[in-house]
Amino acid sequence: MGERIGVYICHCGTNIAGKVRVSEVRDYVATLKDVVVARDYLFMCSDPGQELIEKDIPEHRLTRVVVASCSPRMHEITFRGAVKRGGLNPFRSFHMVCIREHCSWVTQDEDEATAKAKDLIRAAVNRVRFHKPLETVEYPVNPNVLIVGGGIAGMQAALDVAKAGYKAYLVERQPTIGGHMLQFDKTFPTLDCASCIGTPKMVSVAQSPNIELLTYSEVEEVSGFIGNYRVRVRKKARYVKPECTGCGECSNVCPIARPNEWDERLGQRKAIYRSFPQAVPVTFVIEKKDRGPCVQACPAGTNVQGYVALIGQGKNQEALRLIMEKLPLPGTLGRICPAPCEKVCRRGDLDEPLAIRELKRYAADQVDWENLPVPAIEPKKQRVAIVGSGPAGLSAAYFLALEGYRVTIFEALPVAGGMLRVGIPDYRLPPEVLEREIGYLRRLGVEIKLDSPIGAGHTLDDLFEEGYQAVYLATGAHRSAKLGIPGEETTGVIPATSFLKEVNLGSRPQIGPEVVVIGGGNVAVDAARSAMRLGASSVSILYRRTRAEMPAYPEEIEAAIEEGVRLEFLVAPVEVIAQDGKVKGLRCVRMELGEPDATGRRRPVPIPGSEFQVKADTVISAIGQVPDTRFLEGIKGLQVSGRGTVVVDPVTYETTKKGVFAGGDLVTGPATAVEAVAAGREAAISIHRYLRGLDLREGRPSKPSGQNWSEVSPEIPRRPRAKAITLPPDKRKDFSEVNLGLPREDASAEAQRCVSCGVCSECMECVSVCKAKAIDHKMEDEVVELEVGSIIVATGYDLMDPTPMTQFGYGKYPNVFTSLEFERLNNATGPTGGKILMRDQNGAFTRPPESVAILHCIGSRDVNYHEYCSRVCCMYALKFAHLIKDKLGHETQVYNFYIDLRCFGKGYEEFLKRVQDEGVMMIRGKAARVTDEALDDSEKGKLIVVAEDTLLGKLLRVPVDMVILCAAMEKRKDAEQVARTFGISIGRDGFFLEEHPKLEPVSTATSGVFIAGACQGPKDIPDTVAQAKAAASEALALSSYGRVSVSPTIAEIDPYICVGCQVCRGLCAYSAIEFDETRNVSVVNEAVCKGCGSCAAHCPSGAAKVKHFTDKQLFAEIDGLLERLRFGEAA
Amino acid sequence: MEILAPFPEVTEAIAQVAGQTLRICIQCGTCTGLCPWNLVKRFSPREMIRLAQLGLEGFESEALWNCVTCNTCVQKCPRGVEIIDVVRSMRAIMNETGTIPASLKGPLGSLASRGNPWGGDRSERIKWSEGLEVPTYGPGTEYLLFTCCTQAYDPRNQKAARALVKVLKACGVNFGLGWDRESCCGDACRKLGGEELFLRLAQANVALFEEKEVRRILVASPHCLNAFRKDYKEVDGRLEVVHHSVLLANLLRQGRLELKKALHLKVTYHDPCYLGRHNGIYEPPRELIRAIPGVQLVEMKRNRDESLCCGGGGGGIWMEVPSGERFSKLRVAQAEETGAEVIVAACPYCVSMFEDAIKTTGRSESMRVMELSELLSEAIED
Repeated sequence: MGERIGVYICHCGTNIAGKVRVSEVRDYVATLKDVVVARDYLFMCSDPGQELIEKDIPEHRLTRVVVASCSPRMHEITFRGAVKRGGLNPFRSFHMVCIREHCSWVTQDEDEATAKAKDLIRAAVNRVRFHKPLETVEYPVNPNVLIVGGGIAGMQAALDVAKAGYKAYLVERQPTIGGHMLQFDKTFPTLDCASCIGTPKMVSVAQSPNIELLTYSEVEEVSGFIGNYRVRVRKKARYVKPECTGCGECSNVCPIARPNEWDERLGQRKAIYRSFPQAVPVTFVIEKKDRGPCVQACPAGTNVQGYVALIGQGKNQEALRLIMEKLPLPGTLGRICPAPCEKVCRRGDLDEPLAIRELKRYAADQVDWENLPVPAIEPKKQRVAIVGSGPAGLSAAYFLALEGYRVTIFEALPVAGGMLRVGIPDYRLPPEVLEREIGYLRRLGVEIKLDSPIGAGHTLDDLFEEGYQAVYLATGAHRSAKLGIPGEETTGVIPATSFLKEVNLGSRPQIGPEVVVIGGGNVAVDAARSAMRLGASSVSILYRRTRAEMPAYPEEIEAAIEEGVRLEFLVAPVEVIAQDGKVKGLRCVRMELGEPDATGRRRPVPIPGSEFQVKADTVISAIGQVPDTRFLEGIKGLQVSGRGTVVVDPVTYETTKKGVFAGGDLVTGPATAVEAVAAGREAAISIHRYLRGLDLREGRPSKPSGQNWSEVSPEIPRRPRAKAITLPPDKRKDFSEVNLGLPREDASAEAQRCVSCGVCSECMECVSVCKAKAIDHKMEDEVVELEVGSIIVATGYDLMDPTPMTQFGYGKYPNVFTSLEFERLNNATGPTGGKILMRDQNGAFTRPPESVAILHCIGSRDVNYHEYCSRVCCMYALKFAHLIKDKLGHETQVYNFYIDLRCFGKGYEEFLKRVQDEGVMMIRGKAARVTDEALDDSEKGKLIVVAEDTLLGKLLRVPVDMVILCAAMEKRKDAEQVARTFGISIGRDGFFLEEHPKLEPVSTATSGVFIAGACQGPKDIPDTVAQAKAAASEALALSSYGRVSVSPTIAEIDPYICVGCQVCRGLCAYSAIEFDETRNVSVVNEAVCKGCGSCAAHCPSGAAKVKHFTDKQLFAEIDGLLERLRFGEAA
Repeated sequence: MEILAPFPEVTEAIAQVAGQTLRICIQCGTCTGLCPWNLVKRFSPREMIRLAQLGLEGFESEALWNCVTCNTCVQKCPRGVEIIDVVRSMRAIMNETGTIPASLKGPLGSLASRGNPWGGDRSERIKWSEGLEVPTYGPGTEYLLFTCCTQAYDPRNQKAARALVKVLKACGVNFGLGWDRESCCGDACRKLGGEELFLRLAQANVALFEEKEVRRILVASPHCLNAFRKDYKEVDGRLEVVHHSVLLANLLRQGRLELKKALHLKVTYHDPCYLGRHNGIYEPPRELIRAIPGVQLVEMKRNRDESLCCGGGGGGIWMEVPSGERFSKLRVAQAEETGAEVIVAACPYCVSMFEDAIKTTGRSESMRVMELSELLSEAIED
């Protein structure tokens, strides 16, 4: 059957007919092939216009219809309806061409307009005959609504959705809902208290059974399509459970103060906090970041930040309790630990690292050890034997005792403590300090058997037979390494370990007046300083490298020099010179540094021919120690390495013999005491698991990691590190302790230098005062999946930071505030309790200002920042002016510097008049700058605002006490990311873009995603609430109708042609193409596809096509257009 | 460029007198756009107010004394700023410091010492009525005919006063004259910022009226009308005041004023500022003029609330205004455009100003000015 086509040409009043000669076009169209009806009409979109089509279809038995009128964006749906009512498929039988925007409106020339109209209609007639029937598809809608952002817009939208009986999920990033509005004091122009009108909304949200509130949460991912969205939300760990009653006791005891964001950082809050008293939910929240570098660096994992914070508050016993959770010997390590924590301390970025070791010692020394409480321990029957009472053995004993095991330490020496006792001289570590800490272990039930070596007489295997179920070997490294030079066995050559052991056990070894110590480590320095104390007239340390390579602690070397020890570098002994079987001296050789060795230090190389002699009566060799494993000889199944150390599993510290564990220097060779303590704890964990029959590896506590730490503000005032008091060198004649520790007054001040890298210090003080038991420091983030039909994004705005506009002195002068800061200053829950006060140089609040300047348009209406007007500043500036007059009295002068006053809303102009009448000075002229440079006495001590009064053409200098900057409202810093998550476009101003500025103000590029409030652009509260209600109405329309129809003009992929290359999937902006693995073809999700055509344009095999835009249809249209070129005007 | 700092204390002082509304001015410039001064020279009331808003020097310049208080700006101000009150408040500040134009010192001094601005003796205040046999106000008299100082001492205006007596008598109005103890109503004094002096004058008059039990006052000057009606409220609010044009128009309607003598004149009527814009009286004078047989009333383009000021109000009558800057000259030219041979006014200042303008512009042959009473008296049959 031949086609019968009807063509209808609209005049659109004079919009089309004013340029296009419609009757001429009509006559021309009537001559085209298959056109049986051609009409023109004044308004085709009118009812009579549509009726023309509806009547002609049956009358003229039309098969297809073409309408030439305005843009299809306006009336395509209108005419499709008419065609459908006429009995034809609205896609198969209809095409529309635009002869208004495309013809009459784009030329002044009637001939051109008329010719182009003919071309377009001819093309349309050519095209429409190839149209295929299509049907609109409907999908069900999930009635739930997600609202993102808990400010006034989000709250209002959620309440409206809930009121309609549908479920609303309200997701808010902050710990409380309320948003900026709740930071304000009063609202213009009615001067309603923001809290008074805002908190009832918050409470309603919290109490509505239809609203599920997810605070401190963020949307991570959105998938699906209109009516059927899946949303993944991360609920950040709050560390406080909903059982929290909001009593605030936790905040009172929390030692960590942080700038309060809710108060725009004008005041401080604690690490555990609530934004403001009426916060919803009332539940507190803990700000916690990764554990500080100090905690991560401590081999024993001590909570450094925690105990430092507690010392800062004078809570020494609590600090000690926290230290001893990980470290049984605080006073000891507080004296001799190499303090790796201090090397990574971030306070060092600012000035100097914290004196952490001294603080630990301070805490340990403040406590009465005799009466230190012993925790309640449930005793166990199992017995554990520990061989060696050094730091590793004591540590293992301590942690096992805390678990209730019956622990016995076998110590070969007549004293306990191992190297701590016999290796470190008393002037560094007084034996009483070690004894009081070992004494505490004894009070925990640890038995220490002195003079009880394990070895040939009492073997390891014997211990098991005696009923010990596990054994921990921690005998250390006590054997001095040999010098390996001739004459080493001569009398007067003493190994340092033997020398120090004798000294520490109280005997006075015989030494000559001239003592030479060989080595560069702490043992060498200890030996040298001890020799000085024993009365040597001369003590020298010979070291084969330079001072920079010396492993001894710098402060120890320094002290040795102070005490008269001489240091000789780049010298090595070659031979001991003896006379009468006694040492007379040393033959030495000079060294130079060559290539670096395995340790990274440059290897010393002898200089040939540089030999020389040194006089010496006593030579102490301190070139290192090795473990003594002879006591294990004959024990089966226990592997000892070539280096003479016991072989263990690096994680569990289990030896190759079942039930036997080992650690400390015995395993590692000489290392630090804190490492030994750490090893002892790990072994204790293993033994505890072993004795319960658990896997040794699984479930062990993990080491803290990560570098998400609090920022170290450069504004923190610099303060030097506290110094311990030391005994003057001339008083160091005996073995009394040299370091006397920090004075009491310095200790807490030093602790307060901590920059709180982890924010929450996990000192656990909050846990101890929380009666509701609501605090859980182990809480973790939770991810939830929501299913919703529509989404309302109401994420609000950020206030521009005016710091870069240096001319206004923000950040430089303490009394230049932003508008939001002033809101907090003026708010009863703010940092001043609602008093308008000035600040001194240190940021402390002082007295009320006598004059205030309010500067409009800071960053708004400024091409260098934001071209747009922020719309609310004029009004809140007037509100500020009123409130200042109201609070501080009429005599307080208030100046508003404005470009234009935009008081456009209901009651706004009246408010301006009222404020003017109150005596507020309005100065038309944008403030050019703010300075403190006084030109005369009247300006001294003031901030001078310079501006031209453009009404007079006169330059003004206005001296004031306080300046308020009405900074621009700008898009959220992460607006781009949020826009990507939700498929929203962003406008030139950075705010979210509505679909149409007038007619679709809350819709977005993604169907089913709506926007409301200041995320769409600067707006005041009334407009925000109105938009929220509009967005809720859009969402509710979907929920209530329950179905959504999707345009059929979308892409399809022919599975017989598709080769599965998946190029289209990467191109699709809507993620509408899935891949069918089984058939190896790409498949279009019809609900998601928008019909943009990206896939069709790129598909290499031609499998992807957009329905209603097929090649055939498009080529037919193009042919129609080109006909005039082919056949000339006559066509 | 000169750099200035605002002086809020000055603004406060102006507001304290009567200029509170200056604060709500939004500087739209309507006042400047309407001000008659800009017909002859640049003058910006807006700028003057702006300076006052900031308390800046400059508002007290010579321009401050320009304002003739014609009320053109006030009645159109979109903000409701009482510009005349602001001006007189600023002038009051100047009075306090003694910095006023030299030409105003005489009138203000005379007001202080003699109770009139014209330097006339108190004893001669009622002299104009000699021979008219008008009784002095007493018990049973209905109206006190209050003598305007200008009609008392200015020979040209004395004629108008005498004509009014003739008309009143013809209608049988029960009225009496006042006493030498009468003082000037004080209108000009107050507009010139003589706030304290005004209060003295007003209190003296009120005391006199109370003593003589005066209840109803008939005035020939719209300035007296305005002062008694509005300014005296601050002293005594019980006075009933009527302008002669209103009283006579009422009598005309009652048939008591009979205008039978045809005059065959083409006249135009000039609305005095204080009668029209200040007190809303536009039609009664026109009713009276139209009632005279043979008189053709023609309107000037600027009439009623758009009437152009004669330049005499607000103390303008004493200001040394250069010949080319006198509004009265513009006004007589506008009157001439209508083809009228008589310009009728209902205010002594207007009469004086127009007499002068007609003379100095050489229009004496073609045009004359008549006070309303004078025109009416000519239409009354003897």
